[in-house]
Amino acid sequence: MIQPFTPEPIRYVAEDGTPVQPLPARYTPELLRELHRLMLQAREFDRKLITLLRQGRTTFYAQSSGMEATQVGLARSIRVGHDWVWPYYRDHTLGLAMGVPMFELISQCLGTNSDTCRGRQMPHHFAAQAQNFVSISSSIASQVPPAAGNAMAQKYLGVDEITVCTFGDGATSEGDWHAGLNMAGAAQAPALFVCENNQWAISTSIREQTASETIHIKAKAYGMPGYYVDGNDIVAVMEVMTAVAEGVRAGQGPALVECLTYRVGSHSNADADAEKHYRTREEVEEWLGRDPITRVEKLLEKLGHPVSAEERAELIARTHREVDEQVLRAEATGQPDWRIIFEDVYADVPDHLRQQEAFLRAEQGGGRA
Amino acid sequence: MTATQDRQEKSAVSGKRTINLIQAVTEAIAEEMERDSRVVLFGEDVGARGGVFMATAGLQERFGKQRVFDTPLSEASIVGAAVGMAVRGLRPIAEIQFADYMGPGFDQIISQAAKIRYRSAGQFTAPMVIRTPSGGGVKGGHHHSQSPESYYTHTPGLKVVMPSTPYDAKGLLKAALRGEDPVIYFEPKRLYRAAKGEVPDHDYVVKLGEAAVRREGTDLSLIGYGGVMPDLEKAADALGAEGVSVEVIDLRSLVPWDRDRVLSSVQKTGRAVLVSEAPRISNFMGEVAYVIQEQAFDFLTAPVGQVAGFDTPYPYVQDKVYLPGPNRIVAACVQALNY
Ligand SMILES: Cc1ncc(C[n+]2csc(CCOP(=O)(O)OP(=O)(O)O)c2C)c(N)n1
Repeated sequence: MIQPFTPEPIRYVAEDGTPVQPLPARYTPELLRELHRLMLQAREFDRKLITLLRQGRTTFYAQSSGMEATQVGLARSIRVGHDWVWPYYRDHTLGLAMGVPMFELISQCLGTNSDTCRGRQMPHHFAAQAQNFVSISSSIASQVPPAAGNAMAQKYLGVDEITVCTFGDGATSEGDWHAGLNMAGAAQAPALFVCENNQWAISTSIREQTASETIHIKAKAYGMPGYYVDGNDIVAVMEVMTAVAEGVRAGQGPALVECLTYRVGSHSNADADAEKHYRTREEVEEWLGRDPITRVEKLLEKLGHPVSAEERAELIARTHREVDEQVLRAEATGQPDWRIIFEDVYADVPDHLRQQEAFLRAEQGGGRA
Repeated sequence: MTATQDRQEKSAVSGKRTINLIQAVTEAIAEEMERDSRVVLFGEDVGARGGVFMATAGLQERFGKQRVFDTPLSEASIVGAAVGMAVRGLRPIAEIQFADYMGPGFDQIISQAAKIRYRSAGQFTAPMVIRTPSGGGVKGGHHHSQSPESYYTHTPGLKVVMPSTPYDAKGLLKAALRGEDPVIYFEPKRLYRAAKGEVPDHDYVVKLGEAAVRREGTDLSLIGYGGVMPDLEKAADALGAEGVSVEVIDLRSLVPWDRDRVLSSVQKTGRAVLVSEAPRISNFMGEVAYVIQEQAFDFLTAPVGQVAGFDTPYPYVQDKVYLPGPNRIVAACVQALNY
């Protein structure tokens, strides 16, 4: 039984890699290495995408470096393609770990013809039908009430799916957040709300965001359990998330999990100089010392299954190669033409849009027939 | 703010300075905070960060955290709190980070800010300014590019303005802050640094509700506001090269708007083309067109032309095609001229 409302974040592994409570049997070296691989891959994906940004091949990117354990741990705790996910814009690591093909992610970031969302959204806002990974909205917390509704539908339909809804700490200030949790609570819908508390909403610290000691205690007000987890401890995230998800699936009603983590990079490329403006180098350094990837490496070392330097380097190189390949592949598909402006606005195209489309065809020429 | 001081020193000689639109916004806020201690400024990231576009850079340092502060991430709280502060006697400036994110604050804007004077017969009022960057052209996709002004022009009780020059940006913001009504002040973000122009050193305001004639002409009235204004100028240049005399009008204020200026121009030229980048259906320019046909029908030699955004969400790729650039404006003018 996982305890809700603990005063301290639940953890299994200390920063130096020492288990602070017995590791459940499933955390074999093989599983830990697989989780390590996923996290490292996500970290390197960030690095490569920032390079693409600098090269002007994409225009926006929101890193999840530092938050890998939270997102990978969550991905590995749900039934992918069965459960439904209403993510937010920093969740590409969640997507990757859920098996969204890197090619799809990159295509979306580049707005190429291979983008399954057809270049309509700004970079880093993907959607993946096969994974039930619902289209990301930039508007903070706007996904929370729909997630509640998704879960209510699951209950109505009598399916054993659950709905996962993620958001940052800043999102918990929006009215939509409170409305969504309240609705899910009142309906006893199978919703798992996950706060990726990286402690900053652009330049606003969690202390300026709310006078509440923690986020998870807010669950109390909505009649659901709130769990507090060390979001940089992949074992803790997976253990809590899996148990809570299964409780939600079993009909115990919604739950909120707060993963305490840290965004070590900037908020986005629009904010590359975070330290200069609003936070201290010391704070960042302190959190770099709690890095989720390093922590697993230390744990594996203590278990006698270290990741060798060569293995690590090979994994990094492989990720870089893969990103490069997928970028070229995506770019080769070209850019969607002007027609994407008019398609998918409505299920059937009304007359006024047909007229506007005809106008643009005359102006631009070409377009798909 | 040393940069401002530098500029002010230079100006002591010349009497005016060239700045860009975002500097004009910063200066207007700083000067109004200086002259009126009731003015407070808040929103997401406006403090230490200085706003995501740096429109409020340096203001927290200068005026302190009590008057310039970051809020929790909630537009309903930001707008709603501004209403409460205004009712209690402050002059709040609420920044909404992008016009696209006024959504969560919409109810506070239309139910509280816009109506409190009317429903209380003036016993309670909410003089306040909501500033927000709007419009496209910055590769932002739909959530960072929309032009939602018509939602607000449709709401009685709100004043709505959108400058396109540094002079107007500064003067309109000051006037808005000195007024007695809630004002939605849209800042065309693609002009933040692109629009440069002179502002006087002395204090001045631009009265809400007066359009500006950017150039005089006799053949056609080209009317717009906000981010499209440079395109109107380009279109007028292109037509001018063909011998067409275009009058260019910048509305600056949408509520109230300058009917007299628009009507007298159309009475002179006989042709009007209205330009806005917002989607066409229920576009504010539909109101302008209606008034022109109602009040100046006999003067018209061609139907009123309209160039607008398409009735689709704003796309990320093909965003330049979405915007009504100079070519589309010229084409609409040619159509009116050849009618
Ligand atoms: C409704 C709304 N208001 C403002 C913004 C602008 N904005 C984008 S990200 C962000 C901070 C979000 O912080 P948080 O929810 O903690 O998530 P994080 O980025 O830290 O992961 C803000 C204010 C937005 N996208 N939507």
